[in-house]
This record gives sequence, structure tokens and C-alpha cells, in this order.
Amino acid sequence: MAIRVVVVKRPEREISYLRAALKGMAMTFRHLLQKKFTMQYPEQRSTDDWSLSPRWRGTHRMLTDEQGRAKCVACGLCPQICPANCIKLVPGEDEVGHRYPLIYEIDEFRCVFCGYCQEVCPEEAIHVGVHYENAEYERERFVYDLERLCAQTHPVSTLWDPSDPKGE
Amino acid sequence: MADKRTVALDLATPGMDAEGRPIRVPIGVAEGPGPEPDFSSERLLLNVGPQHPATHGVLRLVVELDGEVVTRVVPHIGYLHSGFEKLGEYRHYNQIIPLTDRTDYLAPMANNVALAMAAEQLMGIEVTERCQVLRVIACELSRIISHLVWLGTTAVDIGAFTPFLWTFQEREKVYDLQEAWTGARLTTSVARVGGMMADLPDGFEPKLREFCQAFPGVLDEVDRLLTRNGIWIARLQGIGIMTGEEAINYGLSGPMLRASGVPYDVRKDRPYLDYETYDFEVPIGEHGDVYDRYLVRMEEMRQSVRILEQALDRLPDGALNVDDPRVILPPKSTAMSDMEAMIFHFKQVMEGVPAPVGEVYTAIENGKGELGYYFVSDGTAKPVRWRIRPPSFLNIAALPKMAEGHLFADLIAINASVDIVMGEIDR
Ligand code: SF4
Ligand code: SF4
Repeated sequence: MAIRVVVVKRPEREISYLRAALKGMAMTFRHLLQKKFTMQYPEQRSTDDWSLSPRWRGTHRMLTDEQGRAKCVACGLCPQICPANCIKLVPGEDEVGHRYPLIYEIDEFRCVFCGYCQEVCPEEAIHVGVHYENAEYERERFVYDLERLCAQTHPVSTLWDPSDPKGE
Repeated sequence: MADKRTVALDLATPGMDAEGRPIRVPIGVAEGPGPEPDFSSERLLLNVGPQHPATHGVLRLVVELDGEVVTRVVPHIGYLHSGFEKLGEYRHYNQIIPLTDRTDYLAPMANNVALAMAAEQLMGIEVTERCQVLRVIACELSRIISHLVWLGTTAVDIGAFTPFLWTFQEREKVYDLQEAWTGARLTTSVARVGGMMADLPDGFEPKLREFCQAFPGVLDEVDRLLTRNGIWIARLQGIGIMTGEEAINYGLSGPMLRASGVPYDVRKDRPYLDYETYDFEVPIGEHGDVYDRYLVRMEEMRQSVRILEQALDRLPDGALNVDDPRVILPPKSTAMSDMEAMIFHFKQVMEGVPAPVGEVYTAIENGKGELGYYFVSDGTAKPVRWRIRPPSFLNIAALPKMAEGHLFADLIAINASVDIVMGEIDR
């Protein structure tokens, strides 16, 4: 076990550009017969060797409880941790003293998809999701309000999820 | 506090005098006010970039040409300035990690690791063994993808397109691994102070082993295409020479320094993450020209594969994160059920992890050279000053020295050989 220093040696002979070009061409043509690496997106969205990782950190999704209300209790952790300052939260309280978000908005334009919001959420409410095609025609549409966050249906990232213990 | 100072601000439009007539602007800042270039001579001023594929990012080179010969070249930087260092001063140490994805975005995982290491050194945290090995894997994968981008783009600059496709294909495979591990292909944010964001997912190790087996084959192919190719040799040998002494004086690091024959590698000389226990070679060059930089980087990728294999062999079981509820968030299931864990969770998120008063400098060997993070802490959870020592920034400063006197086409080759990434130069 050791770290050694070696001097890289230059090749002694060079080959003429003509031979090199022919050799290169032969090699490139051999590649033509090999397995294809590319994927015909958007018609094709996954291949045998690749599909989107279940840990993917993409478009947010707010999970809801049985009554369809957002699970969020407006604890304020996610707007605090968000390194991009893109979560807007105004907490409210109902008659029985349950806290809930009056306003909860995520600006997907500012968001850097670090996933910290999901990492810190104690209620498993806000999640980053396994989803990436979220282009819009207008800037305003990138601010997702609570309703829109709850309406998302894509699967959520398994990072920081008890279902994937290795994801912490 | 020092006495109040008055700073005279020049609010006029740059390049105009008081009457609005254009004034002659010296093309470089390095010289200061000196004799201005003689525009009436035969010399030609040429702007390369900032939007040019051969400048590898938004780098602008103002080149003074005498015919085909470069007489002066002045790199202008700052087009990608994002204020990372300042932003870092308003964030907890863990919140800085997403910023480091974006400095050297060609090797994000190594940057994350370096930042976590700096914060840990500040706080006096020892990470677990498993975490160290995972970090080595992260760093070496980063080195490989960083060198792959360099190899592909340099080959395009010299005029060989095929290696670009092959190297980027391999890079995609590393990105697949990063995606499986961290949930993002580029903005990994993989490290945390005191541990890692997540452990390796199922199936990661066999996939990494597969990559380690197949990847040297691709390198061999590129090697066969380029190394002995007459055009490649004619374009690269004897170009942009830096002697060992010059390289040290310019503060170069990484493959740039080693190609000049100086055997300095942070992994070897100031080992971190137990690198001294791995078995690998540090390649150095003899001539210090562009060709040697190519050879050194090719060899480094091979050595990285060796390190990856050793890391996989020794990957220990056991805890990934340090067992300290003050720095590591409790696992989700505990945080939601256990009151004490919940309190720690809230406290940590709201207040961050305070670091003791002091300053630290931590350096790692990144693909491009010595990447250092310097923190000054006043005892709160946010650094007072965060400074990056970006290897590309120091390396690009040697470009005028290397390029002047060469042909213009060689300038492109020399610039490519520096392997810059503007994200970390402009910060
Ligand atoms: S993913 Fe990161 S940047 Fe985006 S909302 Fe969550 S915490 Fe903020
Ligand atoms: S961390 Fe979770 S519960 Fe707290 S405000 Fe954010 S989404 Fe709501």
C-alpha cells in the first residue's frame, strides 16, 4: 500500500496521420455495430439499463391525509432551511387549535431541488418527486400553490423516506 | 474600527470621457496604466468569447495578434459571477452544500465532500469509516467525470470529434450512478456535515464495479485514437510549456503542475480521507507541455479506477453518519415518534450547527487541482467568511505566460489544456 510517483512516458514512435485516420475510422465503424446507447426521448422514456431513479429530486408534491387536507402543520422548518428561499408559508390555526398553512407556495423557478425541505419536514408533508417535465409558458405558473402541490400525482422521492432506510 | 474613509466613485460610463467621447481603454488590467497598445500598427485585436465553444465557458480572451502569432492575451473573467462566497455567509454550513454543486459543476460530489470536510475540521468532527470510503468514491468519480469532459472538449478543440462522444457516453454512466445515489445527475449535494446525505442504494456497488471494468477499455480506445496520432502529437507537443519552477511560481496545481514534473498531489502530500492507505500512482510529466498534461490526465483516470476498486473492496459496514444529534438530523422515523429526537431536529434546523470560533483551510485534490475551502467562524452557525480557492482561477492566470509567442490556433489548445470551469473561477 503506497502512493508512488511515476513519470508518464511519451510514445517512442508516432504514426502518420493517414494511418491514424484510417485506424480511427475503422474503430469508429466498429462502434456502429455495437449496442445503441442513445434513447429516443420523448417517445421512449426509459431503457433496459436506465429509468429515472426512485430517489430523483424533482417537482414537489404535498401529501395529504385521509380527508384530503395537506399534511403540513405549518411548522416553518422548510422555509427556514430552504437555501434558495423559495418557500412562502403563512401559518393559520383552526378552531380546535390545529395549525395549518394559510398560504403555502413554492417557486419552482427559484428552487434548486436540493430536497432539504423534504429532509427536514417532520410531518412527511412536502416531498420532492420523481418527475421532471415541468415546463410552463408563463413565469407565474411556476409558483405552485398549496392546491397545485396537493394535486400532483407523481411518486415521491424515496430519499429521507422510511421506505428506503439507506436513504436515511 | 478604522477611521472613516471617503471613496471617490467614478460614475461615468466606462470607456467614455466627460464629454461622452470614447476613450482608449487599455485591454488588460494586469499592466495597470501603462503604454497603450498601438492600434495603428499591424497588430490585430481579437475577442475570443465570452460566447465561444473553444473558451470552455463564458471566458473572454482579448488577444493581440501579429499575423498569426499571439503577442498578448488577457483573460477577462467574471461573466458567471454568482456571489457564492457572499451567499454562503448567510447560510448554515449544511445549506452551503447546494452552492458547492455549482462552483465546479463538472465535479460536484468532490466539492460537496470538500465543504463538509472543512466544516467538520472547524467543528472537530471525525466522520465514520464507512463515510470516509464513500467520500473517496465520490471524489474519484468526480475526478473521472471532470477529466472526461476535459478530454472530450479538448479533442473537439484540436479537431477530433469522436472521442468527445465516447467520453461523454462514459460520463453519462457516472451520472446514472450519481442519480441513483443522490437523486440528481449534476446538483448532487451528496455530503452533509458529519456524514452523507444518503447511503448507497441497492445495486450501486455492482454497477460501479461494472463501470470500473468497462471504463479502462474506453480509455484504451481513446488512447489508440489519439496518443500516437501524428496530428495529435504535432498539435500538442512543445506547446504551452511551463517549467516546474514557473509552474510553482504561478501557483498552479493539479495536473497542470504535475505535467511540469512537480510531484505534488494533495492526496499524497497532505492525505485526507485515508488516502495514504490506498495503493495508486501519481503520474508526472517531463516536459510540461500540453501533451504531457494530456498524458497525466489519462493516467490519472486509470489510477482513479484503481482507487475506486480498492474502495469498493474495503467498503466497511457500520454507521454512515456520526452519532451526534447536534450535527446529524435523526432518521425520519425517529424524528416523528421520539420527542427528544424531535426537539433536536427542530433545534438543528432552526438554529443550525454552531461552529467554534476560529478559522480553517481544508484542501482536497480535485480533478482540476487543489481545491481549498477557507472558513472563518465567529461561533455562530453561519460562517463570517467563506472563501474558495478554486484551482481553475489560479491555473488560468498562467495562460498569458503559456500562450504568448505561439500561433493563434495553439492558444486554443493551450486554453483547453488548462481545464477551466468558469463556475469556480467567477464564483
Ligand atoms: S428543494 Fe430545496 S430549494 Fe427547492 S423548495 Fe425544497 S428546500 Fe427549497
Ligand atoms: S416542514 Fe413540513 S410541516 Fe413544516 S411547514 Fe414545511 S411542509 Fe409544513
